[in-house]
Amino acid sequence: MQASRARLFKEYKEVQREKAADPDIQLACDDSNIFKWTALIKGPSETPFEGGVFQLAFSVPEQYPLQPPQVRFLTKIFHPNVHFKTGEICLDILKNAWSPAWTLQSVCRAIIALMAHPEPDSPLNCDSGNLLRSGDIRGYQSMARMYTRLAAMSKKG
Amino acid sequence: MEDCTSSSEQDYYCSDQDSLDGIDNDESHVQWVPPKASSCKVITKESLLAAQREDLRRVMDLLSLREHHARTLLIHYRWDVEKLFAVLVEKGRDCLFAGAGVTLVENHDLPSSSTIMCNICIEDVPGADATKMDCGHDFCNNCWTEHFIVKINEGQSKRIRCMAHKCNAICDEAIVRNLVSKRHPDLAEKFDRFLLESYIEDNKMVKWCPSAPHCGNAIRVEDDEFCEVECSCGLQFCFSCLAEAHSPCSCLMWELWTKKCHDESETVNWITVHTKSCPKCHKPVEKNGGCNLVSCICGQAFCWLCGGATGRDHTWSRINGHSCGRYKEDREKKAERAKRDLYRYMHYHNRYKAHTDSFKLESNLKETIREKVSNLERNELRLKDFSWVTNGLYRLFRSRRVLSYSYPFAYYMFGDDLFMDEMTKEEREIKQHLFEDQQQQLEANVEKLSKYIEEPFDQFGENKVMEIRMVVINLSVITDNLCKKMYECIENDLLGSLQFGIHSIAPYQSKGIEKATELSVCWNPKVTNTEKCPTRDYHTNGITKESNRPSGSGSLDESGCSSRKRPRKESTIDLNLPAEVIDRN
Repeated sequence: MQASRARLFKEYKEVQREKAADPDIQLACDDSNIFKWTALIKGPSETPFEGGVFQLAFSVPEQYPLQPPQVRFLTKIFHPNVHFKTGEICLDILKNAWSPAWTLQSVCRAIIALMAHPEPDSPLNCDSGNLLRSGDIRGYQSMARMYTRLAAMSKKG
Repeated sequence: MEDCTSSSEQDYYCSDQDSLDGIDNDESHVQWVPPKASSCKVITKESLLAAQREDLRRVMDLLSLREHHARTLLIHYRWDVEKLFAVLVEKGRDCLFAGAGVTLVENHDLPSSSTIMCNICIEDVPGADATKMDCGHDFCNNCWTEHFIVKINEGQSKRIRCMAHKCNAICDEAIVRNLVSKRHPDLAEKFDRFLLESYIEDNKMVKWCPSAPHCGNAIRVEDDEFCEVECSCGLQFCFSCLAEAHSPCSCLMWELWTKKCHDESETVNWITVHTKSCPKCHKPVEKNGGCNLVSCICGQAFCWLCGGATGRDHTWSRINGHSCGRYKEDREKKAERAKRDLYRYMHYHNRYKAHTDSFKLESNLKETIREKVSNLERNELRLKDFSWVTNGLYRLFRSRRVLSYSYPFAYYMFGDDLFMDEMTKEEREIKQHLFEDQQQQLEANVEKLSKYIEEPFDQFGENKVMEIRMVVINLSVITDNLCKKMYECIENDLLGSLQFGIHSIAPYQSKGIEKATELSVCWNPKVTNTEKCPTRDYHTNGITKESNRPSGSGSLDESGCSSRKRPRKESTIDLNLPAEVIDRN
């Protein structure tokens, strides 16, 4: 328990120091609970998520980093590997391929990579997965872009 | 039939001349397949390590590996050494190792003076407090230990991977043991036990003995997992499904049968179709004819058709016209079918039960037979060898067993449940006749054998005894032969002709269910298998539960290697032994 706290504290300091290093990711820790984190990530360019800002919620177990954090999207997103209602993410490194060498920061990077490279063969969002699997790239992109506009962009534009 | 009898008679005539040393000699004449040494081994807690060692040694020698690497490989390939070697030949050493998570980078020398950044806790630690795995990744001991503890508690002891991302390597068990035992000695023990028991848990050819309470043993078979074995604790079971020995039923048939017998589903079926529960006392009521207004023994009258209590809506005068009778026709058909199914089931079940009951009663014969034999011996006849009595009794047990299990087999083989689509009706009929002919023959001879064995022949004169002896010997051979033929029919003509070969049965063993022999324990030179094997192996025999084995078991106990938890009953007869030996005991 002490180990997870110490490690999270280290990560917190690292995040503070390197804030500018990765402008696509803003990690923040809950003021009162070091086991609760949120992140704002920018949708990767040349994807339907470009221009959107997506919020993630981290729930870190006490066994961290030996066990993976639980991450889900708070912002609605149309993506084959994200549950449309709950925001749950299907990503191997968050399940059995987790390694204690990962950090919250690197998990965010992995999620951004997942947004750019969806895995339609293990879909949590079947509609989205089916569009991709049937080769309807345009359909997928326009749906995803629509939801990005609706949910992940500020209302001004 | 006739020629088979006479030829075997001859067999017996010659064998009788030298059969003073008992059943072993006789058996070799009745034996249809060449006798082989027992291929089943009992693995006790004590010999588990030794059992693994054989396989580990083979892999270590061939690939010149250290033990923990060999174990990692074997766990990955489920202790199938042949498969492991096949992969080696097919795909090469590197692929074999990579697949199982074995990496061979042998540099453990950390510069102990310098400090190392552990990527897990992100702390700088002195090199002495860090450990580098074979894969080359190093982390601090603290993080390693935590990692191991989490994994062991998750039940992953057998494949704890390195902490580095995408590193497939399995951690060195010595390091795991060493680090974990510093903090949680009991957990390290658990880890060791998991590794050790992997040999049983992950191995197709090894299974725990299903005895309850558990005797602590496991059984290893050599080549065929469809076989029946007897553990050294005395339990006989089907190795494939771990239920009681049930050949010639297939495992699936047996599972269905026990379930059926257990919940008496046919009876329940019949009751639901033929009775209605009374709306007042809720007892099932059967209609014995007449109109649909029935009255229960408790006095309550109700409508048979809808089960409703008669009140204002259902009266004597108005029941005829009411609407709940529209399903009547369908119900009748269903009732007919249920009745037919029940009768069919009852037919097979009654016979199965009758033979099982006879089998149980005949088990009591062991004692009386022993008495009879000692009486005969006191009579000082010309005839000195009475192995034919125990021989015949044993043959009776064996064939009675086969006979009783042949009924559930027939129930499923010729029923609608399993093979409806596999045979046409005509085909099925022909096969059923073929099978039933053999079954009848066997049954007749088993009953005859039983009758003669039960004769009070110890009170007869010498000539009469000789006569009975001849008959018993002949019947023993005939029943054995018939059992064998029935199995041939089942394996070749019945199950063999099916499209899907999911019904495999344990082959007929004339000598009975194979007793697993204890595995030799290499680290104790006093107890070697060569000492005991010959005696045990030739005495493989069925039926005699908790048989007393005078040879070997004593010496085992003295050397402290025996793991038999159950006390052996001294009073039972070992039917494998010649009568003289039994009497001496």
